[in-house]
Amino acid sequence: MSGAARFEGNATCLGCGCACDDITVVINGGRITEARNACALGLRWFGDGSLPGAVLGGRSAAIEDVLGEIATMLRSARAPLVYLAPDLTSEAQRAAIAIADQLRAFLDGVTSSTAAEGILAAQRRGRASATLGEIRNRADVVVFWAVDPTLSYPRFQSRYAPNPVGVHLPNGRKDRTVIAVDVGSQRGPDDADMRVQMTAEEEPLFLSSLRASLAGRTVGDPPIVARVTELATRLNRAKYAVIVTDAESPPPVSNGRADSLIALTQSLNATTRGSLCTLRAGGNRNGADTTLTWQTGFPMAVDFSRGVPRYRPEDAALPRLARGAIDAALLVGAAAAIPATVTDALRGVPTIAIGPRASESAIDASIRIDTGVAGIHESGIAFRTDDLPLPLRALLPTPRDTASLLKALGAAIAAQRGSA
Amino acid sequence: MTRLRIVGGAIHDPANGIDGDVRDICIDGGRIVASLPADAPVLKADGMVIMAGGIDIHAHIAATSVSVGRRLLPEEHTLDPVAAPTLDDGTIPRSGTGGTVPSTFTTGYRYAGLGYTTVFDAAVAPVAARQTHAEFDDTPIIDGGFFALLGNDEYLHRQIAANEIGRAKDYAAWVLKSTGAFAIKIVNPGGVELWKRNVREVKALDDPVGASSVTPRRILEVLADAAIGLGLPHPAHIHCNNLGVAGNVSMTLDSMRALEGRRAHFTHLQFHSYGGERGKSWSSAARQVAEYVNSHPEVTGDVGQVMFGDATTLTADGAVEYLLHTSTGRKWINADIELETGCGIVPYTYKDKAAIASLQWVVGLELFLLSADPWRMVLSTDHPNGGSFLSYPDLIRLLMDRAYRDEKLKSVNQKMLAGSALADGIAREYTLNEIAIITRAGPARQLGLRQKGHLGVGADADITIYSRNADYARMFSTPRYVLKAGILVVEEGQLRRAPAGKRIYVQPGYDDSLLRDLGKYFEAYSAIQLANYPVTGLCDAPVATGAV
Repeated sequence: MSGAARFEGNATCLGCGCACDDITVVINGGRITEARNACALGLRWFGDGSLPGAVLGGRSAAIEDVLGEIATMLRSARAPLVYLAPDLTSEAQRAAIAIADQLRAFLDGVTSSTAAEGILAAQRRGRASATLGEIRNRADVVVFWAVDPTLSYPRFQSRYAPNPVGVHLPNGRKDRTVIAVDVGSQRGPDDADMRVQMTAEEEPLFLSSLRASLAGRTVGDPPIVARVTELATRLNRAKYAVIVTDAESPPPVSNGRADSLIALTQSLNATTRGSLCTLRAGGNRNGADTTLTWQTGFPMAVDFSRGVPRYRPEDAALPRLARGAIDAALLVGAAAAIPATVTDALRGVPTIAIGPRASESAIDASIRIDTGVAGIHESGIAFRTDDLPLPLRALLPTPRDTASLLKALGAAIAAQRGSA
Repeated sequence: MTRLRIVGGAIHDPANGIDGDVRDICIDGGRIVASLPADAPVLKADGMVIMAGGIDIHAHIAATSVSVGRRLLPEEHTLDPVAAPTLDDGTIPRSGTGGTVPSTFTTGYRYAGLGYTTVFDAAVAPVAARQTHAEFDDTPIIDGGFFALLGNDEYLHRQIAANEIGRAKDYAAWVLKSTGAFAIKIVNPGGVELWKRNVREVKALDDPVGASSVTPRRILEVLADAAIGLGLPHPAHIHCNNLGVAGNVSMTLDSMRALEGRRAHFTHLQFHSYGGERGKSWSSAARQVAEYVNSHPEVTGDVGQVMFGDATTLTADGAVEYLLHTSTGRKWINADIELETGCGIVPYTYKDKAAIASLQWVVGLELFLLSADPWRMVLSTDHPNGGSFLSYPDLIRLLMDRAYRDEKLKSVNQKMLAGSALADGIAREYTLNEIAIITRAGPARQLGLRQKGHLGVGADADITIYSRNADYARMFSTPRYVLKAGILVVEEGQLRRAPAGKRIYVQPGYDDSLLRDLGKYFEAYSAIQLANYPVTGLCDAPVATGAV
């Protein structure tokens, strides 16, 4: 350790969707040596900030020429895919979407492989929701539905609920009731005030029975009704109830949980106030959905092949790759963070990888360009799991800025089209 | 094209007292100038009508709530795909989708295609303002600004409760400055906070919101005074309590009286001008509201006209959307936003066979037709709440063409129209100059934008040129030429260029001692660091504030 340490306060962590923005990052000798306030996930995400800065596979040394090669390859594809991996600023996401639009490509990202069910349910029903700060300041009943945030969202409980003092909860944890709902092996937190247990098979009936019970009706067999009634009573007594669910850990077998939880929280508002809090993993996943929505009207799985955005959630990137319907791919963002199913399906597809550690990635890409990580090496905006935007600042130099590089690639594509 | 002389057109420039005179307009460097050298390029507009670019004082186009609404409506977007335009200016054109809540690029293209060059988003949660700026960056051509939601803000309420009115003003200034907002917005003062507490109705202006000293009345007074005291170009922009509820006219008039003598803007008044009684009966109370506005020159308003067809109700007023969800059974979003505001969204269809929708349509038209001063009652549909901005040309026709209006009136549901002024017959037809007032000159004056809404020397060269057509809906839906900052963006009715628009915002000053108290409050309650709250990187010059 040598030289004076540099302190970067109020850094935003994208280790999970909580996007804690109170991290003080200590930098010494060009490396991150500490990330104060960060949880274990956050420490892993920040790492030491070191990155490779290679450009591999291009025929030329000059980056402009490599971009020209990429443009040529993507333009000659019949059915290209632009894939948004995590750890991108929203500025980079927007630039990548622009490229998909130019190329008439298929655009998708990790959302359609992980959290699609909840998004589709919310498009059918809407949703009753609250931002994390609202939950912190108002929720007196907090139900963790088949999720224990301790592992995947480690600071959720200390930063948002149930632990902090809030405007309407002057005694913090003491003023709140925490209810753990265990569904099969998906358990709620250990230190809950009340625990409700069910098997995965029981869950759909339990949810419909709970909705009926909130409305004053009794549905279901006695063993379920007893558990349901206790929970419904507690929810109806709440001033502001929040049900927390993990979009990244759906039931092992799809059973309509996302849809039912939306309906349940909406109907809570007939008598009291209630919201559903949907947790997403890190790397600005919500940013991908949000920016894609404002640019196209759809949050994932957008097909530009006819020159207009068309929504294809039922035929997303993965099935297209699996049946050989994609003949070139531009993968943008942290390749290491995409689902293994997608990584596997990309094998054999001519691929360009642009993102942090692209040069080291297991993706079989013909050209790889290393860039920086959003919020560590690159500045911009990221979206918290509740869709609130937060600032990102570059703490360390980036090998090359992803958003700028993608805009240059867009310009190269436009120039080739103009001269074609 | 930096220099251009527009010749031969009839100028409708009411801000400068010009009503159809044929004159040249000279443009240089994005502004209107007094003269140009004889060899400057010429655009012939013989026989055409020339107005300043349109200004939308109240729409929802760039905000967290808007994108949440966009995400809710894939079926609408699927039905209205929009291909990228062919542009001549080297900008990469973008595809998108339309419907009632279009994607950002499509929003910019379509507004410009309609001859609108400036649009304000009327409801932005300050904590999410950086998203609004980012969405505006992806909304080409139009200049954009937004109003910051303050009427249900926890910190503001605390200052009112403690009678720290100076600090409340400083806080309002800090929010505007930190977020790059243009004006103060009040939505259902106190009522959104009450909705979060499961209190679903504000019965009177003196209902307590938590502390007994915090009431809708005090919120209105404190924020209206803050806007005046800070010398903001636009006064407090007010969405009254009890939107959309029968009998709400008493609340609306009480709110206006509460601010009597103060400059204030009351928005989408159509939704606040109903007689009758909650749960029992409905009638038009447009005449009462119009009469109040007519006799109070300090008051300005916009109408929030309802147009038949699909709409999306999208508002910070979460409570009203719950009612709409339960009464229609349509899908519903509620989003409570920390310490500041709320958000509710329900897709809605106004049918001319429906009694309430027909009454709403009539109430809006009555507000237009009974308002004596068009400068103070301007055009809006509260896009997309009362209808899309794409319906403005048809609305203009309803105002200009009595025969068309009366014919339409016959076809709507008559159940609630007995005794309404429109049903009794209103002969008034808006003139072209009055249309220029309610769509550009009036909004510019209400907003305090001196370089917008007129065609005098020094004004921004935002200009719309229409071919005359007896069908005013057609005339106003397809301008022949549109210039934005001197650049021809629409030529022969086709979008040709899509330059980036500018941001319109203020940077008022405040007493720095605010920050110590605010720091403690953030430390105790905020889920975002105080240092991360302000938006950075705004490039355009702010609009001046302070004593005029």
